[in-house]
Amino acid sequence: MSQLFSRRAVLMQIGSAVIAGASSVPRHAFADLDSQPWFFLTDDEARWLAAIVDVFIPQDEFPSASQAGVVDFIDFQMATGYGQGEGLYLKGPFPEGTPQQGYQLPMTPAEMMRAGLTELRGETDLTAMPTADRAAWVDDLSNRDNMLGDVPSSTFFEELLSLTNEGYFADPIYRGNADYAGWRMVGFPGAHAYYTERVGDNKPTNQPPMGIAHGQLNQVSPRKIEQGG
Amino acid sequence: MSQRTLPKTDVVIVGGGWTGLTAAYELANAGQRCVVLERGRHRHTATSFAGPEEHDELKYALRYTHMQDVKKETLTFRNNRDQQALPMRRLGSFLPGSGLGGAGIHWNGQIWRPLPSDLEMRSHYEDRYGSQFISDDLTIQDWGVTYDELEPHLDFFERICGAAGYAGNLNGETRAGGNPFEGSRTADYPNPAMKQPISNTLFGKAAEKLGYNPFPMPSANVTQAYENPYGAQLHPCTYCGFCERFGCGYYAKADPIICVYDRIKDHENFEIRFEAQVLQVEKSADGKTATGVTYLDENGVEVFQPADTVCLNAYALWNVHLMLVSGLGTPYDPETRTGTVGRNYSYQTIAAVDAFFDDSITTNPFMGAGALGVVVDDFNGDNFDHSELGFLGGGYIACKQYHGRPISYQPVPEGTPRWGAEWKRAVRENYNRHADLVIHGSSVSTHENYLDLDPTWTDAYGRPLLRMTFNFPDNDRKMSDYVMNRAVEIAREMDNVTSVKSVNLAAEGNDYSVVPYQTTHNVGGAVIGTDPATSVVNRYGQMWDHHNVFVFGACLFPQNLGYNPTGPLMGLAYWTLDHMKNDYLSNPRPLMDA
Repeated sequence: MSQLFSRRAVLMQIGSAVIAGASSVPRHAFADLDSQPWFFLTDDEARWLAAIVDVFIPQDEFPSASQAGVVDFIDFQMATGYGQGEGLYLKGPFPEGTPQQGYQLPMTPAEMMRAGLTELRGETDLTAMPTADRAAWVDDLSNRDNMLGDVPSSTFFEELLSLTNEGYFADPIYRGNADYAGWRMVGFPGAHAYYTERVGDNKPTNQPPMGIAHGQLNQVSPRKIEQGG
Repeated sequence: MSQRTLPKTDVVIVGGGWTGLTAAYELANAGQRCVVLERGRHRHTATSFAGPEEHDELKYALRYTHMQDVKKETLTFRNNRDQQALPMRRLGSFLPGSGLGGAGIHWNGQIWRPLPSDLEMRSHYEDRYGSQFISDDLTIQDWGVTYDELEPHLDFFERICGAAGYAGNLNGETRAGGNPFEGSRTADYPNPAMKQPISNTLFGKAAEKLGYNPFPMPSANVTQAYENPYGAQLHPCTYCGFCERFGCGYYAKADPIICVYDRIKDHENFEIRFEAQVLQVEKSADGKTATGVTYLDENGVEVFQPADTVCLNAYALWNVHLMLVSGLGTPYDPETRTGTVGRNYSYQTIAAVDAFFDDSITTNPFMGAGALGVVVDDFNGDNFDHSELGFLGGGYIACKQYHGRPISYQPVPEGTPRWGAEWKRAVRENYNRHADLVIHGSSVSTHENYLDLDPTWTDAYGRPLLRMTFNFPDNDRKMSDYVMNRAVEIAREMDNVTSVKSVNLAAEGNDYSVVPYQTTHNVGGAVIGTDPATSVVNRYGQMWDHHNVFVFGACLFPQNLGYNPTGPLMGLAYWTLDHMKNDYLSNPRPLMDA
């Protein structure tokens, strides 16, 4: 009898083998990505992104965006379905519309990300800017109404802000929300949800978060990004 | 020309959602051979929607994995006829489904009945306020079918869903704790109302203090083990907080797969074909009847399926699109105000109020359910005196706790920045301290809000896209503002509330936008009525122009009521099916004289 294994099943097998053989927190074979290239970003783009997402979500008692893997999340999103234009109607022509008509650019999110990053990085090396000055620069960026090449500045800005938010709070299977940083911060217990007995009790929930793959497939750690500032 | 013609069937049904599967169930059991054509894939509640994998906010709530693919079919949109409509390039304001069960698998389960006066809107307002009261730009009209006629069918659908609630008007007798404004019910809800979280309870107390009549939202999130009249087994809700935009693998939210499909799928008269994209309804040489439908099958082969009867059970917008591309009925022309297909498109008018609690309250927002709410109906429909208000219609005010999914659920008080340290702290501090009030308002129909075909863009099958021309009518801007202010008053009256903020999406100066999610309650465009000059189908859901074409769903609504549409549209579906089974099929003919 022949057997087929999914990649996921194989990873899980590796995971359980490691669990059997080690007492420390297990990691699967691909856990350490520091030596791996990004899926979509260049190293320079990743550093620049780390600088801006950490303005959106700075470190306090809880990790910053980049510490929680938001750059890894964005990299993965750009390389996969969403970034590649899934769920996006891209037939022309592409006349300019009103804000009420929504997105009208002839490009995928990944193409827009590259175009916007290229323009902004060419203009301002955010990583070289002192950390204290970055927030004011980002605030200025949010108020611009110019074009970044073919991309309206505001469209690029909103995309980056929403990706950052998603990366901080999405299930860790997407490589952000490392160690459930976002979920611990607000107190969201995660994907394993049965609350029939507790509805209306007005009591705090001290349930540690559990993601979709909790205890099955361990999360990859965010890549280390050397930042200036 | 089709590459292949199949043997004729009795009934061909376009769409495998709530109305399509129900039509198949009822007609197959009445001896009709039914073929359902579903554009999406097979999926099942047990195997496709199980937690924890289903509880993936990014995949389902933000990347719309259960929804239709706009690469294949979308529409163009503009606010008015002076603009060029442009493609809705990604989903936003509304989220039609695709695949077995349609949008019926990702609804919240808020299961309402129309008010008796909603169904006689024009004559009711004329009777109460005089014929001058209704402004000339409104095209609101009576449905042609009354509450009393629909009541048994509304009741039956509540039984199919195992609806949970508390009747406010049982056989004409008003009961404290229910909705005193609702039409008379012949029976109570089949299951007891849901348990309420602290935020909703505090809302109810405040509403009561102000003299209103709070009651639990009627819910198709089932509260105890239940068997429906078709024999489906439903389970109690876990309040998991993954309802709208998700399927329910707990079998706790009524959906068309478990409630209907599983009970008919093995019937000898039932057949369903997946990835069957209907392209056009074909007409007879004299144009008086339909002969069947042409569709692309799963292999991309164009197939003609002949049928004696054609049922249109696609999502509201796509039923209208299919009529327009097939030349069924006469398209509406806003210039001459003639024609009916595409006429009276309307939507839903949404406003929101956020109340923030002090730290003695812990809401645990993730303990939620789609229809977990406390509601006041005192400002819905014509439940309040409109004589001095300058608008008609209204909406319910609900305090809901339907999810705490952390990417989307980030309530922060007025004045909070959109990012940075202060934003981060506000998100963290208010996650457990928020009450979510919605004003779910009606939407009047007008001469200028309508659907037709776009001259420029096409879908993946080469057909012109549907074109939507819509903006909020002045009537609804005023209505929404008025009802929202009542909601703000209730929020301020709530115990432990420290601040309140509000937003009216239809406020003066806000043009309707297809970008932010509002509701998947697109209605009208193929409306029901008793006059062929102002309706596409007669009061039985039968097309005036093609008597063997029956139309289902919210496209029938002549204007939108202040309630969620699934209850009313399923009441209509059972009403139509009743007349098909007991009158039409044995003697096919127009059921009303034009």
